[in-house]
Amino acid sequence: MTLNNARLVFWVGALVSAAIFGWMTYDFHQQEEKYAHNSKIDEQVVAGKKVWHKYNCNVCHTILGFGAYYAPDMTKAYYRLGENNIISIVMEPEKVYRDSFRKMPNLGVSEEEARNLVRFLHWTADIENRNWPPQDEKYVKAAKMRADQPANVERTDIVLGTCGGCHSFVNQGRNVAGDFSDLARESSFDRTTLIRFMQDPQSVNPDSDMPPQNVTPETAGIIADFILSLR
Amino acid sequence: MTIQYQSQKVALPYMQLSLLLFILQVVMGLWLACNYAFTLPQGLVDVFSFATSRAIHTNLLVAWMLLGFMGGAYFILPVECERELHSTKIAWLQLILFAGAAVIAVIGFLFGWTQGKPLLEIPVPLDMVIVVAALLFLYNILMTVLRAEKQSVLQWMLVGGVLFLALMYLFGIPFYSSLNADYYYWWWVIHLWVEGAWELITAAIIAFVIIQVTGVNRKVVEKWLYVETGLFLFTGIVGTGHHYYWIGAPHYWLWWGGIFSALEPLPILLMVIDTWLHIRERKNPVVNQLIWVYIVGLALYHFVGAGIWGFIHTLPPINYYTHGSQITVSHGHMAFFGAYALLNLTVFYFALPQFKGIEKYEAKAGYWGFWTMAVSMFFLCLVFGVAGILQVYLERMLDIGYSTAHMMMMFWFKVALFFGVCFLAGVLTTVYHLFTLQPAVEARQG
Ligand code: HEC
Ligand code: HEC
Ligand code: HEM
Ligand SMILES: [Fe+2]
Repeated sequence: MTLNNARLVFWVGALVSAAIFGWMTYDFHQQEEKYAHNSKIDEQVVAGKKVWHKYNCNVCHTILGFGAYYAPDMTKAYYRLGENNIISIVMEPEKVYRDSFRKMPNLGVSEEEARNLVRFLHWTADIENRNWPPQDEKYVKAAKMRADQPANVERTDIVLGTCGGCHSFVNQGRNVAGDFSDLARESSFDRTTLIRFMQDPQSVNPDSDMPPQNVTPETAGIIADFILSLR
Repeated sequence: MTIQYQSQKVALPYMQLSLLLFILQVVMGLWLACNYAFTLPQGLVDVFSFATSRAIHTNLLVAWMLLGFMGGAYFILPVECERELHSTKIAWLQLILFAGAAVIAVIGFLFGWTQGKPLLEIPVPLDMVIVVAALLFLYNILMTVLRAEKQSVLQWMLVGGVLFLALMYLFGIPFYSSLNADYYYWWWVIHLWVEGAWELITAAIIAFVIIQVTGVNRKVVEKWLYVETGLFLFTGIVGTGHHYYWIGAPHYWLWWGGIFSALEPLPILLMVIDTWLHIRERKNPVVNQLIWVYIVGLALYHFVGAGIWGFIHTLPPINYYTHGSQITVSHGHMAFFGAYALLNLTVFYFALPQFKGIEKYEAKAGYWGFWTMAVSMFFLCLVFGVAGILQVYLERMLDIGYSTAHMMMMFWFKVALFFGVCFLAGVLTTVYHLFTLQPAVEARQG
């Protein structure tokens, strides 16, 4: 090969690739609405994203799979945890993770910041990203369907999709506040109290550290039946 | 051998600072491993968190890499251009700006002053200082090259690589209101650096070192240089798509990103082959064998870390499961060490003896350092790989929850901590050796 041919390889290689990439970048922006629903980015989503950056959440948590691998991925956190849980975890991680193997720092996030964060995480969870991460897909499905078509969702997916951020059942979910098999045995709540406890724990037990759960009475009923069936 | 041009001396503080930051980076890494391996108390996590230490670990990595490249360029260009650098004053000013920004950035991280983007945490005002330093650097090397009697492929490849690097940095600075677009452009910095601009710089620098050390014909080396960098850019630019599979981008990225990135190992393989050919056809005698060990080590480790480890998880059906797991960590470490840490160390082993006018140096500690680093980094990456496979298998195939999976991984991070300590020992040995190079004792040469 002569030097001139080698130079040709360089320029053709670089420019062809750059041209394809340039076109694809143009098309990426054209299709952002379809995949990321950019028109739904409102002031709160932007404010929430700024909070996300301000506290450097991404350097412990991945989001869209990028960042650090030290803590759970946040892409679908909105569907995995729901609004109230995210707010409690972010504002009082030292309580939620008191007995956990790994701690999240209390970063001093204000309530308003936490609410904006939830809006940001909600927008993020709706990005059409080919169902990644794989382990969260069942929870996304459960969260979207548990209110109106509970019959079409696995019962454990409903339970763990709602409560799995802090409770576990047979290795699924996370055991930072007790496994349902144990809770079912230890707790003496009847069905009505259980449902009330889910929706407003402090009304049953004023000292409870458990945040109120974002569940409809129907979903709470399904979960209560599940827990009672374990007794 | 001594330096041929006085202005080359300005490269020395760059290289020394670079080595010190390397040590600090590794110390921070050990602390990160502790965070993974043990349950740390809330009180400690609240004041000095994983996030702070990871920001320091990764930013120091980038800083010592860039310092090494800049020092390397300042060392190489006078020889390559057969004249002094355009200005050593600018080089000093640039070093002070860059080092100042790095120090303020690290102190800032301790107090939570950050832009909040992984690897690009430096806040915007400090970004501006970096941009000024980069402009000074570009101006300085460009003037040096333009005023050279003879222009060479190598000079322009180096300048082009640096220009490409500096341009891409700009895409990481703005605030993007869409996370999706944010990460689209985040990879223009990270991917187009390590699989684009930095590869050009590496190819140019290593071509220079090979010409100098082996004495082979420049024409041949420069032909290889064109072909390799051409292939790097051809596969690497569209190959950026291997980061766009799961961010919410059109479907065709799976094909384009997958196929082009799967070809990325080819130019790295070519580098292995041409290094081997040039060494076989060397015209110069072997004076310091250690530098040859580094050159070959760089070529092979680069291929293993970036080429093989990258290829393993680059195709979409595999990446769906491995994405965002410790597998990525395994590859990141192997590739950064194999390609860029070894590149900088190769250049330092080429340059530092010349500052002292040492022809042949005592190399024993250097060998110990090299092998300790190379072997313990390999094991470290294997351990990360095991943790990653465990994570993927437990969380994503068996559907086991996060806590259970990660508690099972803690054991492997204790092992990682062990190899990390070994690696630090290797780094300290190497840096000590580089700082205290001594002429070889004649008797031992016999
Ligand atoms: C120093 C690292 C660190 C930082 C910074 C951090 N987190 Fe966390 N976070 C964790 C860890 C560790 C856990 C899991 C704790 C456990 O499992 O015991 C966690 C858990 C969570 C969870 C629950 C995840 C789940 O699936 O159960 C949410 C939500 C969360 N963090 C949000 C945030 C947000 C929002 C920020 C930024 C304001 C943030 N975190 C910053 C370490 C961190
Ligand atoms: C953000 C974490 C979190 C989530 C999510 C969560 N819990 Fe809890 N839960 C706790 C904590 C913490 C406790 C420990 C006892 C306390 O402080 O009340 C607890 C305790 C309980 C108990 C035992 C109460 C008792 O006093 O006997 C039950 C039953 C329970 N949770 C059910 C649920 C159900 C059902 C869901 C889902 C709808 C759920 N939890 C979701 C944190 C959580
Ligand atoms: C020397 C060159 C390289 C370096 C320094 C390097 C470094 C890295 C780093 C640090 C990351 C993680 C970034 C993050 O998410 O924080 C990464 C990701 C990745 N790299 Fe490389 N890389 C190199 C070359 C390659 C090559 C040649 C390939 C393909 C053949 C490759 C394939 C990948 C893939 C697929 C990912 C994404 C992993 C995921 O899904 O999370 N890399 N690389
Ligand atoms: Fe890449």
